[in-house]
Parts: sequence; C-alpha cells; structure tokens
Amino acid sequence: MVDEEAITRDALRNRTAPSLLCERARSSPDRVAFRSKHLGIYRERNFRDYALLVARAAKALAGIGLIKGERVAIMGDACEEWMICDLASQSLGAIVFGIYPTASAAEVEYQLRDGGAAIFIAEDQEYVDKVLPIIDRLPDMRAVIVIDDSAMFDYDHRKLMSYEKLVGPAESDLDWLEAQVGRVNACDPAIIVYTSGTTGHPKGALITHGKHLAATANLVDHYPTLTEKQHRTVAYLPLCHILGRDIAVTLPLISRLVPHFGEDPEDLATTMFEVAPTVLFTVPRYLQKFAAQIVVGISNSSKLKRTSYEFAMRLARRHVRRLWDGIATGADEAAYRACHAAVFRPILNKLGFDCLEFVICGGAPLPPETMALWQMYGVNVLEVYGQTEEAGGIIAGQRGQFPRPGNVGTAPDGWDVRLADDGEVLVRSPDLFESYWHNEDATRAVKHADGWLRTGDIGEWTDGALRLIDRARDFIVTSGGKTISPSFIENILRASPYISEAVVFGHGRKYLTALVEIDFDMVSDWARRNDIAYTGFTNLAEKPQVVRLIKGEFDKANAEFARVEQIKTFRILPKALDPEEEGEPVTPTRKIKRTQMYERFKPLVEAMYDDSEGRLLAGEVGDVLRA
Amino acid sequence: MSRGMPRASGYFRTDYAQDLALTQTRLERASLLAFAVMLAAFPFLATAFYLDLACQVFLAAIGALSLMLLTGYAGQISLGHAGLLAAGAFTAGILFREFNAPFWVTLPAAAAVGALLGIVFGLPSLRLRGLYLAVSTLALHFVVVYLGGEYESKRGYSTGIMIDAPTIGGYAITNGRVWYFVLLVAAAATLLICINLLRSRTGRAWRAIRAHETVAEALGINIAAYKLLAFVISSAMAAVAGALFAYYRHFVSVEAFSLFLSIQYVAMIIVGGMGSLLGALLGAVFVTLFPYLIEAALQQLPNAQSYAGVLFAVNYAAFGVVMILFLLFEPLGLVGIWHRVQHYFLLWPFKHRPVAGAGK
Repeated sequence: MVDEEAITRDALRNRTAPSLLCERARSSPDRVAFRSKHLGIYRERNFRDYALLVARAAKALAGIGLIKGERVAIMGDACEEWMICDLASQSLGAIVFGIYPTASAAEVEYQLRDGGAAIFIAEDQEYVDKVLPIIDRLPDMRAVIVIDDSAMFDYDHRKLMSYEKLVGPAESDLDWLEAQVGRVNACDPAIIVYTSGTTGHPKGALITHGKHLAATANLVDHYPTLTEKQHRTVAYLPLCHILGRDIAVTLPLISRLVPHFGEDPEDLATTMFEVAPTVLFTVPRYLQKFAAQIVVGISNSSKLKRTSYEFAMRLARRHVRRLWDGIATGADEAAYRACHAAVFRPILNKLGFDCLEFVICGGAPLPPETMALWQMYGVNVLEVYGQTEEAGGIIAGQRGQFPRPGNVGTAPDGWDVRLADDGEVLVRSPDLFESYWHNEDATRAVKHADGWLRTGDIGEWTDGALRLIDRARDFIVTSGGKTISPSFIENILRASPYISEAVVFGHGRKYLTALVEIDFDMVSDWARRNDIAYTGFTNLAEKPQVVRLIKGEFDKANAEFARVEQIKTFRILPKALDPEEEGEPVTPTRKIKRTQMYERFKPLVEAMYDDSEGRLLAGEVGDVLRA
Repeated sequence: MSRGMPRASGYFRTDYAQDLALTQTRLERASLLAFAVMLAAFPFLATAFYLDLACQVFLAAIGALSLMLLTGYAGQISLGHAGLLAAGAFTAGILFREFNAPFWVTLPAAAAVGALLGIVFGLPSLRLRGLYLAVSTLALHFVVVYLGGEYESKRGYSTGIMIDAPTIGGYAITNGRVWYFVLLVAAAATLLICINLLRSRTGRAWRAIRAHETVAEALGINIAAYKLLAFVISSAMAAVAGALFAYYRHFVSVEAFSLFLSIQYVAMIIVGGMGSLLGALLGAVFVTLFPYLIEAALQQLPNAQSYAGVLFAVNYAAFGVVMILFLLFEPLGLVGIWHRVQHYFLLWPFKHRPVAGAGK
C-alpha cells in the first residue's frame, strides 16, 4: 500500500514517476488524479483511468519503436495528453523534454536538434506547422504525433500521425505498464528541461527520475498542507517549465494536489473562476495582471463602491503592516475581517481566488508591491526561489501566514544554502540536476566537485531569511560609478498596471533611461474611457496622452528611488514584444534579453542619450546661470 | 434559457446532469427554498381578498408565460390571446353543460381545441409578419368570441354558463386555499415546461427564428414547423388557462374576454420585459394588481366617495400612462430593473465585469 505521507525523500529517490503512478493505480484507483475540461465538463480521471491512459499511450509509442534513452519532445499548452505522453515516454525509459508553446521556429529547431528528439508530439496544427518545414534538417526525428488533428485533413506527411489513430487501437493494461516501468531505473535520466536562456542559447538540464521526485518532495515538506488534505489547483503554466511540470505531473503523485486543466489557456479566467483553487502556483506576471484588472475595475466603479473599497484598503494597509510586525491585535483582526467580508471577498470571488489557502509564486522576482497588494486583499502570497537546476525543488520559500514581502524565505529541510564571499547564493543537496545536456563546460561552471551548485544570483541573509539582491549578476554601473540593480527598478515600474515590461539602461552613462512596453489591455481600456481614439498598438503607444500617463507612472516610481536610481527619461516601444517572432529580445517565458533589447531598439535608446540639443541650448545660455 | 456560468466561484460541473440542474449555487438553492416556503405560507396568513388576488395572478401568469413563448421568444406577435382564453373557457363550459364532462376531460379537451386553433391561426404567420400578423390574429379573437356568443344566446345562457366546482374523488374544490395551491401548481408546472422548452432544441430554434429567419433557415431550422409549433404550444397553454379560469370563476361569459384582455396580456409581457420568463411573471403580477393599487390610492384621497364613478376611467388612463412610460423609459421592462438591481450587488464592488471569466 502506498501512503503518500509515508514516502520519504529517500524512498522517492529510488522511484520513478511512472512507477508511482502504477502504485497509485493499485492502492487508490478511485481517487481523483486530475480534472480536465472538455466540452464544458470537467472530466474526472481517477488514478486507474490515468494509469490506463498512460499504458495505452506507452504501448502505442513502443509500437513505433520508442526505446530507452531516446528523446521525446512535446510542444503545446498544458493539457491532459501532455502529461499522458510524458509519463508514457518516461515509462519506456525515454527522456522527455518540453518546448515552450511560444517558442519561435529557430528556437524549436535548436532545441529539437540539441535534444535530438526521435518523436515530436504536437498539441495541434500550430506546432506541427512549426516542425514540418524543418523536419528534413532533423535526421533523428522519426515521427510527429499531433494530439488535436482538427482542420488537418489536408496534411500529408509520411512522418505525421494522429494521436487518436495511434493510441486509439492500442490495448494495454496495468500489468504491462508495470513490466515496462520495472525496466527503468531511478537513476536513469528522465527529463531535460531547457532553461530560458537570457544569455545565449537555452541549456538543457538533464534530470534523473529519482532525483526529480526527491527534489520536488522538498516543496511538499516545506508546505505540508499539500499532503494533509486534498487541494484543488489550476494547471496552466507551460509543462515544459519545471514549475509547470511539478504542479501537473509530479506533485499529484507525491501529494494530494489535484490539478485542473481548462479548455484553453485563453480561458484561464473562466477556469480559475469555476475551479476556485485552494492552492495556486504562479509566476509574478499573472499576479500582476489579475491585480491590475482589479485596480482598473475599481477605478471604473461607481462612487459609493469605490469609496467602500478605498475605506477597506486604508484599513487593510494598516492591518498588513501590523501582521508583518507581529503586533496585530484581536480588534484589528476583527475590523479587517469585516472589510474582507464586505469588500475583498466579493472581489476575490469574481476571480475564483476566494478559496485560496495560499499562493506560491516563483519563476521570477515578485515585486513586493504586488505581493503586499494581494496580502491586503487577504490572499496569502508566498514567494519561492528555485531554478531548473534544482530538479524541481526549491532553494528557499516563505512559509506561514502573510510574511513580509521582500525576501524568499528559508531553505527547505535537508537542503544547504550558503552565500559565497561575493554574495552568490550556493546550494547543496543530493537531488540536483545531473548535467547540462551535451554541454560539459557549462555543467562544470556551475556544479562544483564538493556538491555546491552556483546559482549566479546575489543574495543576503536578513533575519534568517534569504533576500535576493539581484539575479544573474545583472548590474549597471553608471558613468558616475554607482552600481545599480536594474531589476529592482524594473520591478517597481512593472508594478504599474499600465506597464507590462520595463527595461532600464544606463551602463557607462550619466543617467538611467528605460524602454517601456505598455500593457495593451489596460492602456487601451484607459484610452477608451478617456475618449482617446487609436487604431492599434503602435498608434496607441504614440499618443501624447499615453506618454503623459506613463510619465505619471514614472514620476510615482521615481519618488521611491534614490537619486541615482531615478529614471531620467523613457521611450515607449512601438510594438508588443512577441517571443514567437524571430530575433525578439524576449524569451518564451517573457524574460528580457537585455543586450539584444539594446541592439533591437538602439535608436530609441540612443535618442534618450542624445544631448547635442542640450549642448546647443546650454551654449546659448552660456554661464548666466552660474553667476 | 442558455445558462451562463454560476454566479459564485468554485462550481465546476463534472457531468452534464449538473449542467442541466436548475440551480447551481448554494445561494440559488437557498433563495429558491425561501421563496417556496413563502408561497406555501401565504394562504395561511392572507385574507380571502388577497387569496383571490394571488389566484388571479397565477392564472394571469399562465397566460402571460404562454404569450411570452410566442411573442417574446419566437417573435410572433399575437392580439388573439383573449380569444384563446375564451376558447379554453368555452370548451370547458360547453363540455360541462352538454355532456356533464369532468374536469380531467375538459382540461385536455381545452388544450386540444387551443392547439387546433393554434395551427389554424398560426398558418398566416408563415406568410405574414408584424402588423399584418397582428391583424390576422385579431380575427381569431372575433371568431371565437362570436361563436361563444352564439352558443350562449342559442342555448339560452344569455348571462353566461355556470360551471360546478371540479371534484376529485368526491371532494369539490371550492375552498380558496385549495384553489390557491391548485393554481400555484399549475403556474409552476407551466413555468417548468417553458424553462425546459426554452433550453432545449425547440427554444433555441424559436430564438433563432426571432433573431433572423433567413439565418435560422440556413442553420437547418424548419421555419414553418417551428413557427406553427410555437402557436400550437402557446395556444394550448392559453386555452388551459382559460379553462382553469372558467372553473375558478364557476362561470363563463363572452363579456370576460374583451379585446382589452388581449391588450392586457401584451402589456404584461412588455411591462414585464420581452424575452424573459421572469418578465412574464413580473408582468402578470403588475398588470393584475395595478387596478387594485390605483383603487387603493384613490381611497387615500380626501373625499374618496366622489371619485367612485370615475374609477374605471382613471384606471384605464393610468394603465395607458404606465404603458407609455415603460416603453419610453424602461424598454427592458420590470425584469430590466430587476437585473440592474441584481447586477449592482452581484458585481459589488465593481461596476462592470472585471475579468472575462467571472460570473455576471
């Protein structure tokens, strides 16, 4: 009998994900493994169904010759077939890697070539279209399997096959699957996860079965409620990302988390509302976007409603500050609860956030403002810090109720975290990634013989919690010699609902400047309300009123910065950043590649430093002012 | 009725049976239960006068619901509704007088007569639209009332046909409270039939026809069949309401089915709110109670006795004014007001839906 609470990390280190699935199918066959929305209904899959689906897919994949050690690439949004194909491939000993649904054609080709995929599984036509033009340049690729083949009646390629036609006739059972799984060792490689690669090509982190399970278990140990009771969550992050994989595939096998898949990632808001998750794993962007929708929605509301909200916010601000300081009294609590019931709960209900016990936010630095705002709304947001190289585990994470924003908490039990002399965060654990795929140099650069892994991030300890000062040694040194962390400034700028992306420049310059991508939804909404006519993104970005709006946001942000950190001027990007486009300075996870950003928008940046006009005027004025 | 999403988060459906459930959220179930308890308790608290008002409202509700199906959903205008009520009432009266038929024969017979009339007077709708259709349905009214009047005078019931109270197992339904529950059940059953018709293929076809006939036909909807079906179902329901009315009043006379009654039913669905079953119910309540409200208001005036003579005129005039005011200022009807009030609280503290997914 498998009792998930009893599985220790040591035991997990000797298991594989497919073997856990088989055990679950035997011990608790009727328990719900996940729910996936199809034609309006959340189909419940229990562990018996789940294992049988995986068994049939594995049989089909074995039928087209997939063997141990070969690579399978999966590209598409989070859906049940993604997980089924993933576990099916793993149970045959194949190594799975996912490709971002937003990856550009060049990135797809690079990863397929680098990973040497034998089978490419595409969610639908969109991804097939990305691979078919380059398939002749990929000698290892034997088959392209498409899950949703609607509108593809005109496709004819000898390597292309439909998932339904392939898996439909396959007959299999649990015994067969167990026999296959038995041949896979826990120390065999299971997955490759490509890092987003803000500098150079993405690197594939190779992770073994057992270490992935044991590493991910550190999340469960850090947040024991995950095994104490059943939790609903929404799986919407891309499964090729290590966090997405943890939520959809791994955690359900080692905790009592039940992921829910929406019909389409576009319907995320609907899915959230319907599912009303009790635990949410997310990246900062979503929290910012949802918070911006609330803030803008309130600002459009009627006077009475807005006043009630503002009154509640005043109380909430005082309340969270007392919570952080640990001096909240029963009376504060009661007053806040009343506000919460009257104002914040109805707000959260509309987003499906009213049942949340806590939100785990990772993947990128979470602006403290965003975190504080959600805490005021009564959502216990916790920031975690981890990287692909930790094989699914986290380096540190905040715990408890409503911690003060600004740090990433403490390391999980059994994981050693220390700071190098220069402040770089180092981590040591038996469960880290093996190596970068076909890139020994890169592996040696971060993995030391003594077991410590270099994260490349700079941190410090404050009151026992790890605080990250900067990620990836990304500093700007101005011509005045001041060292400035651009990500700190960018985070504050991004806290504005109207700014979706900000990139700060100023290395070797006199002052700091920024390029800004406006949040099209929010700014267009604002423009409509203010009767500003526009035709499209570029036109909207050029409107003088919009420039003034963004200027106002900058002035607000500048008020918080030290003088050297202040942004002198900015330019709005004339187009939205699209990771699917060739040569865009943004990774599929929407991380900015700073140097490429400069190359791409050089004239805009240089225009901000063009001081010929200034010199001309200064010449005219002469030294009158100095008198 | 195309159901949107539940109004509170956290209600996901894992099978289609849940999708079909009439109530989705706890709040909906609780308020429905509270409303049912209120309706059940009413006759034990109300006087005979209020009991009679409630019964009138239930009868009007059945008629208004049937007209709403035809006009509010299928988009076929009708001014012959009083004629259909009359047809039902006379069917019950004649069968009782001539053959001493019990109510379990007369009610289905009334429905059958209504359905038949529905076919006959639905036929013009295949060719005519708008005003022309309205005039052709007006003909139905005059034909039925003429035939009813002829029967009355030829058989010597010139003041009207008396009907005995219906009996079930030797028990005659004469008590006001029993009538209250009988009519309540009848109205509730009609409502349920309408709800289910509207959320099935039939209702969707009707709405498609109302939106655009040509597009509906291009979608494969048999326009002629569904239009006739709308007339048949609506007429059968109206005729049953007429028969129930006859039993409730113990009396049938052409006097009760004037053209003004047709106008009143049209008023119910307009004041209530076109294209909404709730609108039909609200309209039935409003139009039924309105004359009593006017009367009560006049009583409050000083020297009330002297106005007694003009009460009728004031009533008609006020009714007309209210209709005009609704058409001018609240074309969505009472249900529009209700939805606005509801949205104010459902959207709290927002004014508009903040995110695409959230309930309305």
